[in-house]
Amino acid sequence: MRRFAASVRATEAELTALDQRVGDGDFGTNLRSGLDASVRALDRAGPVSPAAAGRAGGPLRTVATVFLDGVGGTSGPLFGLLLTELALAAVGPVLDVAALRAGLTGGLAAVQRVGEARPGDKTLVDALYPACEALRVCPEQVGSRVALAHASRAAWEGVRLTARLRARRGRASYVGERGRGVPDPGAVGVGLLLSSAGGVVTGLPPSVTDAAPRRPD
Amino acid sequence: MVPDALAGFARVHADLVVHDEAAGFFRARHPAPGRRVAIVSGGGSGHEPLHLGFLGAGMLDAVCPGQLMASPHNRQVFDASRAVSRGAGVLHLVKNYTGDRINFGIAAERLAHEGIDCARVLIDDDLASDSSESATGRRGTGAAVLVEKVLGAAADTGLGLRELADIGTELVSRCRSLAVASAAHRTPATGRSAFDLAEGDLEWGVGIHGERARRTESRPALDELVTRMTEELLAALDPAAGDSVIALVNGLGGVTRLELYGVARQLAARLDRCGPVLERVLVGDFVTALDMRGFSLTLMRADPETVKWFDAPAHTPSWPR
Repeated sequence: MRRFAASVRATEAELTALDQRVGDGDFGTNLRSGLDASVRALDRAGPVSPAAAGRAGGPLRTVATVFLDGVGGTSGPLFGLLLTELALAAVGPVLDVAALRAGLTGGLAAVQRVGEARPGDKTLVDALYPACEALRVCPEQVGSRVALAHASRAAWEGVRLTARLRARRGRASYVGERGRGVPDPGAVGVGLLLSSAGGVVTGLPPSVTDAAPRRPD
Repeated sequence: MVPDALAGFARVHADLVVHDEAAGFFRARHPAPGRRVAIVSGGGSGHEPLHLGFLGAGMLDAVCPGQLMASPHNRQVFDASRAVSRGAGVLHLVKNYTGDRINFGIAAERLAHEGIDCARVLIDDDLASDSSESATGRRGTGAAVLVEKVLGAAADTGLGLRELADIGTELVSRCRSLAVASAAHRTPATGRSAFDLAEGDLEWGVGIHGERARRTESRPALDELVTRMTEELLAALDPAAGDSVIALVNGLGGVTRLELYGVARQLAARLDRCGPVLERVLVGDFVTALDMRGFSLTLMRADPETVKWFDAPAHTPSWPR
């Protein structure tokens, strides 16, 4: 999550520029403020024991609640839903391939239940859906680091494809043809989340795991 | 402007409503005792008396007001639903706007994680936004107040969540609305008109958020205007012989009662000539768009049970009967 925060901080200006072209220009700021608040909440919660990491109140749940309660706009709370499903799937201290698959797939389903977007509508679903597909065909034995690499590659490919689309849902649908050529900011957010997670694949806070990386494989 | 108004509303109607200011919702102080399922609604501010005015015994259990013409946050809906849940589930009444759908939807996901059963009735009655080309569907407007009343009375009989959701969905399918305006509302921040309309022109098919209609035309005489609107509504509702209707003649904020009763007269005259029996009519400002100079007509096909529920007593700040 800290890496995600860092990567969003590094790309905030670009995200904002994208959203100014297809939306209302607040996506980068919303995502960044959500992540900054998440990092503060994780700092307050302090280190988490491996046994407690996957439980309610674990770091992913903390971050999910920050996003659901505190982030404005539509895509912020939708990220909160995705993170909630990931937290629910992370029953053990380690996010293995099965937990990742269940969490992301559950997140995709929740986002689609609420937002009703389908692949091709030019929303964050266009990054999340191919990531789930990549995880679906990924064997358990490869381990979550490799699985996440596949998922994030698929997500970024999805992001690139959104640039060719005309938006059918969300704020970007109002600009119609003028949005062609611009990738969807929400989809970029999913890409950043997955590539940041690629470095750290446990449910533990990175401050703990960075020191002693747990390799599920 | 909105926080002041909400605090004022809470103070004026303290005998009927409880304001949870921190969480951003209102709940009924004295909900009907027979009700098992809690009914929660809400939406942008600027449409008063919707929804706050219909909070109380016989209608809504909780209301989440958003900022001016903006959806409430999912947290408000989540907290309100939790606060009024009686263990038999929560029914969300949601007007069809993207922001409302998504925020109520996220709240419903969160309620599910807490084991609180939740169902939604989507109100989408606006004929002017009925287009097969649009993925967003018909807007939710005037029918909201009729659905809140009828479904509230149904809930007071002790019905369960699924039954109420089915009744609500069916009720909505029997409602259509159409709105016209001769001038836009003023945007409070600037004091300027949300859009300009030439003298003698009419917007045909406006919404309640200051968006322009699909069509601008010269304003016809009132009898011709109301007759045309009624014809369109009847064509869409397609009532069978022997059906009756409940009508709402609704001011959008900037017209007088005198004018609205004139509209009601033309509506009744058209239906009396050859149409379904006009069983009940509500006249007044119910679902407004700040001070927009215009009105909407809503028709709801009604059977005897619907009329009975419509007539059941309600004790809220703004239900007029």
